Amino acid sequence: MNFDYSEEQTMLRDSVKRYVADTYGFEARKAIVAAGGFSATVWGDLAELGVLGLTVPADAGGSEMGVQEAMVVLEELGRGIVLEPVAALSLMPVAILSHALAGNGFADLLGGIADGSKRVAVAYVEHGARYHLSHCSTTATANGAAWTLTGSKGVVTCADTCDAFIVPAMTPQGLSLFLVDTKAAGATNTIKVTGYPTQDGGRAGELHLNKAAGTLIGAAGKGMALLQHGINTLIAANCAEAIGCMEALCDMTADYLNTRKQFATEIGKFQALRHRLVDMRLELELARGMSWKAAIVMSDANMSPAEQNATVSAAKIATGKAMRIVGQGAVQLHGGIAVTLEYSAGHYFKRLTALEMMAGDTNHHLGLLAA
Amino acid sequence: MELQLTPAEQAFLHDKKVWVEAHLPKDISDKIHAGHRLHKDDMQRWAQILGKQGWLGAAWPTQFGGPGWNAVERFLFDEACALAGSPRIIPFGPVMVAPVIMAFGNAEQQQRFLPGIASGDVWWCQGYSEPGSGSDLASLKTKAVKGVDAKGEHYIVNGQKTWTTLGQHAEWGFFLVRTSSEGKPQTGISFLLIDMKTPGITVRPILTLDGEHEVNEVWLDNVRVPADQLIGQENQGWTIAKYLLNHERANIADVNRSKRELERLKRLAKQVPNGEQDGHATALWEDFRFRDQVVALDVDIQALEMLVLRVLAAERDGKKSGVEASMLKIRGSEIQQRLSELMMQAAGTYSLPFRYEANEQGWTGDVVGAAEYSPLAGTYFNYRKTSIYGGSNEIQKNIISQQLLAV
Repeated sequence: MNFDYSEEQTMLRDSVKRYVADTYGFEARKAIVAAGGFSATVWGDLAELGVLGLTVPADAGGSEMGVQEAMVVLEELGRGIVLEPVAALSLMPVAILSHALAGNGFADLLGGIADGSKRVAVAYVEHGARYHLSHCSTTATANGAAWTLTGSKGVVTCADTCDAFIVPAMTPQGLSLFLVDTKAAGATNTIKVTGYPTQDGGRAGELHLNKAAGTLIGAAGKGMALLQHGINTLIAANCAEAIGCMEALCDMTADYLNTRKQFATEIGKFQALRHRLVDMRLELELARGMSWKAAIVMSDANMSPAEQNATVSAAKIATGKAMRIVGQGAVQLHGGIAVTLEYSAGHYFKRLTALEMMAGDTNHHLGLLAA
Repeated sequence: MELQLTPAEQAFLHDKKVWVEAHLPKDISDKIHAGHRLHKDDMQRWAQILGKQGWLGAAWPTQFGGPGWNAVERFLFDEACALAGSPRIIPFGPVMVAPVIMAFGNAEQQQRFLPGIASGDVWWCQGYSEPGSGSDLASLKTKAVKGVDAKGEHYIVNGQKTWTTLGQHAEWGFFLVRTSSEGKPQTGISFLLIDMKTPGITVRPILTLDGEHEVNEVWLDNVRVPADQLIGQENQGWTIAKYLLNHERANIADVNRSKRELERLKRLAKQVPNGEQDGHATALWEDFRFRDQVVALDVDIQALEMLVLRVLAAERDGKKSGVEASMLKIRGSEIQQRLSELMMQAAGTYSLPFRYEANEQGWTGDVVGAAEYSPLAGTYFNYRKTSIYGGSNEIQKNIISQQLLAV
């Protein structure tokens, strides 16, 4: 047992921490939110820092690090509530593409993800399915070796800034994953993408496919395991991001209690407020352990998919509980100022709320574990 | 003990439901039921409809033109309005400053201000909190200095107020100002009525987490307020503020609106698709994990309603309420927050798109479920305020603990 960061992990953490501290202040972030919720400049910076190619195989141009290193990075991005979605547009598609099979012809794309020139989102959300991955009304039809896809996906991360999508679709063989390239010939007639800001300041959109050309990823009918692996990677990353986000929020709240005066004294002297801060920190530390456990289990090739699923669901539940207690607690302890857009605590609260509702909320994961 | 309303109370409720049905504009109630954005015109139109009937000041005694209803009747009227989807009464005029003017104002002030409040024509706002004075309201620093000039006796007011709800629409405001720094902080406060068009007043918006312009900062820079706009005696402001806070406590729980929102939550849960079971499409309502949370909240709302009814019955019969009256705000706010949370959770990932324009009635966009889902996350964020405003729930618990303990 050892819960310390390696030297390499520490260096990685420090470089990302420095970047976020230097370039991602409250005002800089506000400007990105106002411009739509995604900055191509920041995306380029993250590629240069090596963040986007962290888990990309070395022969595709990445640094082939593991899930644990990715978690170290995500925690720092969470601390600064960085809007650019590294988990959704790098870790998750990379997990799927590199897990499908080695040397499968996606090396160029993986290289593009690593150097920031290609943005790929996994369009896994359908309105009729809620959080159930096995429910999929998008269909794929084979015509020889070519496939065409028809259906709609919602709340796709940064949809209108993406070059390609990984799309789950139903085939006669079962659920399968496809790569849909928005730049392919004829795509303008078969692919429609919309974009909108999200509640947490980021960006998403809808993806409508009408006989759009798709390239099969892995084998037909074997998409569920691949998708589940991608979702597990996303959730583990979201948990790590939430840890950084919660830690920043707890620190901010402690600062506020130390300095805000009412009744001629620091409000941190009031026991009810002190105890609430302790409740927040307690949940954070419990969630931190579960987030680590998820990262360790996801990076262990000897773990069965079932073991990975169960650990990731447990981590999501523990983190979900903590996100609510820390988020709501921080707003309450700050008072009215945290219900405004003018102060950063409220923005952290919104991000934590969004993280809780992505890739299955607490109820959903309880259901998975209890089944 | 008897839970039934008397025949007279039942008839009263029936009459009010019929009246609201006939008078509440449908475009307004549609917005309320869907959680869509209300505009000044929506709120004021409803206030004026009530004003015309003499019911805007539902708690006003008859000598001031009110209906003279007792506490139970007022509650039943609120129930008829809330369940039908009426907007909340903007309280600053009819519910807050009017009773103060009746109790502490002179006859001239009553004649000058009450008619505009009763009709719903004049919009009022509140200037209480300051950036440095939230829970500790008595520490407020906005200063009023008495003087005389060619136009007569007046106060010159300087300072900054905050959290002034809907102050951007207000024609008049009631303000707590410091007129003396001697003795305890509470003893040097006065209650002034200020025309919001007076030179030196700047109203600056503060956007809340849902992106809405609901609250404001109000800056007062050498604002000249005629001395006849002082209510009560100089330095009596704290007593007046406490009177105001203790007025109309039963409706602070807002249980009727929570009953209405519970029905909305149930409607939503029955609409939200949740994949399939045994080959059939199912709705979220069929997921027992979610449904249990709704049912538990339903029970909490019933329990809150019983607490409200106990307080009302005591008030109607002229008895003093115990500790339960102070509990209404705590549980009422928790329930409002929980309702907003479960509604957002019901929509799940689809509550995440943020389109300011989607909260407008009649918006047709290309986001799935936008009409139902778009206001939900914003309401959840916004409703964190309910356990903070009007004396935070921590302050409320301090008040209750003082009633329960001897030390």
